Amino acid sequence: MTDTTSADFQSVIVPPPEGSLVLECKKLSFYYGQNQALFNVDLPVKKHAITALIGPSGCGKSTLLRTINRIYDLYPGQRAEGVIDFEGENIIGPKVDVAALRARIGMVFQKPTPFPMSIYDNVAFGVRLHSNKSKAELDEIVERSIRRAALWDEVKDKLHKSGLGLSGGQQQRLCVARGIAVNPEILLLDEPASALDPISTAKLEDTLEELKSDYTIVIVTHNLQQAARLSDYTGFMFLGKMIEFGPTEELFVKPKVDKTGEYIGGRFG
Amino acid sequence: MDRALRRKIANYVFIGLCIFGTVIALGALALILWSLFSQGIGGMNPLIFTMDTPAAGSPGGLRNAIVGSILMCGVAMIIALFIGVLAGTWLAEIGGDTPYGHVVRFLNDVLLSAPSILIGLFVYQVLVSGSPIALGHFSGWAGAVALAILATPIVTRTTEDILNLQPNALREAGMALGASQFTTIRQIIWKAAGAGLLTGGLLGFARISGETAPLLFTALGNQFFTANLGEAMESLPHAMYNFALTPYEDLNKLAWAGALLVAAAVLGVNILGRWLARDKNAGH
Repeated sequence: MTDTTSADFQSVIVPPPEGSLVLECKKLSFYYGQNQALFNVDLPVKKHAITALIGPSGCGKSTLLRTINRIYDLYPGQRAEGVIDFEGENIIGPKVDVAALRARIGMVFQKPTPFPMSIYDNVAFGVRLHSNKSKAELDEIVERSIRRAALWDEVKDKLHKSGLGLSGGQQQRLCVARGIAVNPEILLLDEPASALDPISTAKLEDTLEELKSDYTIVIVTHNLQQAARLSDYTGFMFLGKMIEFGPTEELFVKPKVDKTGEYIGGRFG
Repeated sequence: MDRALRRKIANYVFIGLCIFGTVIALGALALILWSLFSQGIGGMNPLIFTMDTPAAGSPGGLRNAIVGSILMCGVAMIIALFIGVLAGTWLAEIGGDTPYGHVVRFLNDVLLSAPSILIGLFVYQVLVSGSPIALGHFSGWAGAVALAILATPIVTRTTEDILNLQPNALREAGMALGASQFTTIRQIIWKAAGAGLLTGGLLGFARISGETAPLLFTALGNQFFTANLGEAMESLPHAMYNFALTPYEDLNKLAWAGALLVAAAVLGVNILGRWLARDKNAGH
């Protein structure tokens, strides 16, 4: 069994093929004030693929996701050390334009977060922030984004009604539509299905499957089947460390670290 | 006596005391409303809205006081909402956790409970007489400023409380799309908290609409009609105070009618505020 507490602990990483990465975390550590939540985490993210992060509660998978778009900047006392290489730039650095970064790395949260405005305005919100589009262009972007999020048929007749009136599953797909409307390169999803019923979850998964031809997706999930079904690569985290990372099939069928096998086999977590 | 019985008795005694207290409080309110209504309804007639302060014995109305109250409360609320919403937003979203934020919140709470007559005296010193920017005479502006100082801490407090109720996920969602903190607050958080912010404004209005003390040294009062805030100005509470002290029955009647008007306005505003707040919660 791997000793995850010793200093010479080594993650087992089977990276995607050379040159296929869009983003890479290297020796990333994260602190909530005095408490260290991530320890030298490595995470290669392959372009136009779905990467899943799994692990028991409190293992740091959400924290890792939240460093990638620097959303932790909102909270004084939280800080990251190490490297997140995004197309040649270390986005942990102080000179990074965080607003521009977040337009390129979108995020969908655990609970649906529709804004208190119409469905149309929800999706147009980010677009209006970053560009000056004509009404016709905006209409087109909104329709395309909602279609890609597999929500169009359900909302096309009530685009100007409040987004708060939708069901939870629809709200979550609205948030996906809102995220992809600004055409990000990467979409981060933090347990996006945990508040949804099975049918809504299936719809959301179909949506993600469909999106990966154009977007890179990183998803945190508690649901192992979901990770196995959806993702191309999976990282297993435990106690703030990346225990094992590799192609999903390999990691689930023949894990290289005992701890991974124990977690997948349901022996703890 | 066994335990179960003792507990039962203690329970009944306690519930009895609670009911007693409630009945006393509600009874007092009912008596106030009843005496207001029964005495005020007699003085109610259309002349109240068309005529100004009368000489004793001749017919008259409250037009100058009603217009004065609306003008001064209106200006006061514009000032209070502007400062209060911004200050409350700062406390909730930006600096509330800093030492400076704690001081601001404490001072706001002190201001919240400051005696209104002191606020009137302060504004008298600043805007009526004694300071370089004083106008040298009583004015509606001074009255409005005094009322604004009373309403601002209420708006500030409510704004902070309401904004703190908004989920952090909403802020993160806005920022995650690349919006600045200012844009997120303005376009998402304020919108989500809209009905609550309005309620804060209405609470502030209800507080100042019946105030006499801060107007005594500032707007003074004026038995003639004016819509010019640069002049001394009549207000409903001040008219009530004056008319109630006279020995003339028709003026006393007018005072009661004015009291009923103020009570009706406060009640209406409170109901409106609750209805708006509920409408939002039931909206989805």
